[in-house]
Amino acid sequence: MTQLTTVFDFQGQPQQLAKKLGEGGEGVIYPLAQRPEVLVKIYHERELAKRGKILQEKVEAMRGVTQLASEKSVSWPLISVFDAQQRWLGYAMYKAEGKDMFLLAHSMLYKKHFPGLDRRAITGYLINLVQQLKTLQDHGVMIGDYTLHNLLCQPNSDKVTLIDCDSYQLQFNGRHYASPVGTPDMTPIEHHGKAFSDLVRTKESEAFSLAIILFKCLMLGRHPYDIVGGEDPVTNLKRGDFAYGVGNKGIPAGPWYNIWSHMPHRLKSSFIATFTEGANDPAKRTSLEEWLEILTLYGKEIDKDWHEVAITPSEPKPKKYHGNNRSISQSASHC
Amino acid sequence: MTHYELATQNDLIENPSPRCPCMVVLDTSSSMSGAPITQLNEGMQTFLQALNEDEVAACSVEVGVITAGSSVREELPFTSALNIDGCNSFSAGGMTPLGGAVNLALQKLEERKAEYKRAGVPYYQPWLVIISDGEPNDSWQAAAAQAKQLSSQNKLVSLVVGVEGANLATLGEFSHRPALMLQGLKFNAFFQWLSASMSRVSQSASTTAQVDLPPMDGWASI
Ligand SMILES: Nc1ncnc2c1ncn2[C@@H]1O[C@H](COP(=O)(O)OP(=O)(O)O)[C@@H](O)[C@H]1O
Ligand SMILES: [Mg+2]
Repeated sequence: MTQLTTVFDFQGQPQQLAKKLGEGGEGVIYPLAQRPEVLVKIYHERELAKRGKILQEKVEAMRGVTQLASEKSVSWPLISVFDAQQRWLGYAMYKAEGKDMFLLAHSMLYKKHFPGLDRRAITGYLINLVQQLKTLQDHGVMIGDYTLHNLLCQPNSDKVTLIDCDSYQLQFNGRHYASPVGTPDMTPIEHHGKAFSDLVRTKESEAFSLAIILFKCLMLGRHPYDIVGGEDPVTNLKRGDFAYGVGNKGIPAGPWYNIWSHMPHRLKSSFIATFTEGANDPAKRTSLEEWLEILTLYGKEIDKDWHEVAITPSEPKPKKYHGNNRSISQSASHC
Repeated sequence: MTHYELATQNDLIENPSPRCPCMVVLDTSSSMSGAPITQLNEGMQTFLQALNEDEVAACSVEVGVITAGSSVREELPFTSALNIDGCNSFSAGGMTPLGGAVNLALQKLEERKAEYKRAGVPYYQPWLVIISDGEPNDSWQAAAAQAKQLSSQNKLVSLVVGVEGANLATLGEFSHRPALMLQGLKFNAFFQWLSASMSRVSQSASTTAQVDLPPMDGWASI
């Protein structure tokens, strides 16, 4: 493909593009030469040929949600961009700062990319993430395609920015715009076996995928459905085979059990409920609002020194540990 | 337990990334002497370097090497690209015991999958890459049939690359995909492509996803 050098806005105002910043399955990302804080996403030719019209309509609808355009923590589509012949090519958005959350949610890579990371810092990112998802939902937006690669975290802060927003599901002015992508190991059972583009994502389906992201971040990249002696994560997911909790059967060897044991009781029981009963029964899943409350409380309790902050605690939590504070905390543990 | 076993077992315990094992079977028979083996060695280095430039791939892809020359040798047991500092140079000599080498490769892949299961580590469809300039001269039919069957069942990505002078018809029996003829000695281009393909696999979040290879004409046609 020849490198694109100039794009135009709706009025035909040209902008030079700088060197390509990134590339995904759907398009290429370029900064504007004169305003490097602004990026454009130019869809691949084959995507435009296949579903250019739908893409354009969706991006135009997204632009309609003006409250999100001013959200700094979401790289929301701001304007459409065109070629010299006024053919629609993609959209412009603000550049997000930060590193792929995958590099945080990985027991080896975080050391290089997030030096000094502790449990309080992870909790900070997660609280922000859940808050942003709530803001999106309040405006009729669901993520659909949950992946760590589309969440950018700024090291030494609690800032998370969401990118790749054009894949989100949007309900706007009575119309439904689907999230046409996803991966089976992040998708709840009720949405398996159907084309992603035909799905209507719900608060409960979002809550399930979010729980996997939360688990992966707190568990340094471990998927909740990684089980010793089990099948692949997708099969385990469909069966609600979650190793942690009563009996702790099938937890992989390594630091995982220690990490798990130090989580507050309510955090653990929310994961257990979501990944066992909740696998089949959407109503049993912990909601975004509940996650926000649980994580906020976890953060506060860490600040009070009630919980281990080490990323990989060297010992599991002693059985009858209630924190060094006697008052009621989330930490009473039976899991 | 040998030192190596300890290292790899720790690796499966410490690194939660889904794995993609890739066994490379290299024909190091005497006909590969000279420029071909030099280029092949350089290509392997490129491969390992390119994998390490992509951190996601480096944590996911495990490379193993088996050579088929004077004997069948496991030169590199499966190791995460992340933990591979470099690769021995191979020298050419002897016959082409590809059947034995592929048998060993399939056995090692099975063993590795069992280790993943024991450790609770998810894995992508394993890869077998065979590079040869001739045709096997041991008893190879059973090994080929097994590789072909696994590949047609989507349980193995079997890629067969012929170097000039290779008998593509015979090599083609090792996969349900046609064997590819490498133009000249473009090992480097091939290994670049291979690492790009493996990066793509390790980016796909689901281990059960179908493997969608980048177009081959990229390297094969140059
Ligand atoms: N708003 C943004 N800020 C910073 N980097 C971005 C932004 N949008 C995209 N990128 C970079 O470009 C890559 C590809 O963009 P993405 O929108 O995910 O494409 P695709 O939908 O084709 O996968 C991302 O992985 C990221 O590295
Ligand atoms: Mg993307």
